[in-house]
Amino acid sequence: MWIRVVYWMLILAFQVLVLNHLDFSSFVIPQVFIILLISMPLGWSKMKQVSAAFGLGLLADLFVSAPGIHASACLWLVLLRIGILNTQDIKQQIASKMDYDVKSVGLNSFLYSSVILVFFYHFYIFWIQNIGSLQWSNYVLTSMISSLLAITLIGVLQYLTFQHRS
Amino acid sequence: MQRLLAFIEHNVHIILFVVLQVVCGFLMFYLNPYQQATFTHSAATVTASANQLTANVTGYLDLKDQNIKLQDQVADQFRNSPEAVFHFLEDTLTIKDSNRVALFDIVPVQVVYNTANKGENVFVINKGSNHGIKRNMGVISSEGVAGIVLTTSARYSSVMSLLNLNFSLTPNINGIDYYIPIKWENKHVNILRIKGINKLEEIAVGDRVKTGSSTALFPKGIHIGKVARITTKQSSQYFDLEIETATDFRKLNYAYVVINKDIKSIKALLENVD
Repeated sequence: MWIRVVYWMLILAFQVLVLNHLDFSSFVIPQVFIILLISMPLGWSKMKQVSAAFGLGLLADLFVSAPGIHASACLWLVLLRIGILNTQDIKQQIASKMDYDVKSVGLNSFLYSSVILVFFYHFYIFWIQNIGSLQWSNYVLTSMISSLLAITLIGVLQYLTFQHRS
Repeated sequence: MQRLLAFIEHNVHIILFVVLQVVCGFLMFYLNPYQQATFTHSAATVTASANQLTANVTGYLDLKDQNIKLQDQVADQFRNSPEAVFHFLEDTLTIKDSNRVALFDIVPVQVVYNTANKGENVFVINKGSNHGIKRNMGVISSEGVAGIVLTTSARYSSVMSLLNLNFSLTPNINGIDYYIPIKWENKHVNILRIKGINKLEEIAVGDRVKTGSSTALFPKGIHIGKVARITTKQSSQYFDLEIETATDFRKLNYAYVVINKDIKSIKALLENVD
């Protein structure tokens, strides 16, 4: 339990202290903390998942002074995750209450859901942030770059976690 | 009730999701100045569009009442000053050629009686010999040929409708005069027939049928109708054309009498030739 709390805090700190201040561009900000939602334990109830997403989103909002945006995106992400997981054959992992990661469900399943969720999250966030004055080329470009960067970092994090456990 | 409770229990996370999204929406559009401004602007646009739509729908639904009011106003004007209403009908239009010589006078008339359900249909117009109208003058509507004047009185004339078994006119199709009469057969209202057109002629459905040069009653090029159907027998060298009249005789309210200014000269000339 405590290990999980520390892991969540470390990832969140990495996001708000490091990634949010990377000087790539004022727009390209990879949202890596959503790995916490993507890899939530499979044993958690849907209510718990929705509540956790809302809480985590509000925490993320707190550090970017934009209340509601990340919370809303996290809620959508969790709902989409529930839908994607319903299409995957992971009954055994759910019964074992394992975390949803590369080690438990395999690379293909994890990559498939992660890519969809990460892209969705970034497109949603950048859309809400620029709503009303959306420049499509800029919007698509920044969302794509941020998503690809986030997927890369999530891959690295998964690799490190995998190494640590083995 | 149990099913409802079971459904709610099964989807309670969706309910929580919706509630929390509403909270997020409130936070986003109330506490973020940029999103708030966008939301206010969008809301104003949507409201304006909705108001416009409502106004359009209301205006459309009100058209019937407005139409009745206008009809009442016109009827009142008729009753109070008929001269004013008929004034425009009394303006005769003259058609001149390139040398500014008058060819035709066009006299606007009102149809006061009309039939389209008999074999020999006629209609009556509200002008007669007092207005210079005589027997055998052509009558056209705003759409096309309507008929030929049969008899006249001082103030009225009877007109043989195109929908009359005795009516006959030679047509011009695609710029070519055909010396085959176009006739009504009392089978369908507004459908005429031309029989015996050679199959080698290039005529298609939709082609316009007009008055040609072989009649002095109508100016050349007045619409008679359009080809609605082409029928033929395999063994025959000819086909028949069904022509949909340009004039809808069930809605004929106004027409124009065509007075050929040179009809006497032309007839005299032709008689001398004969």
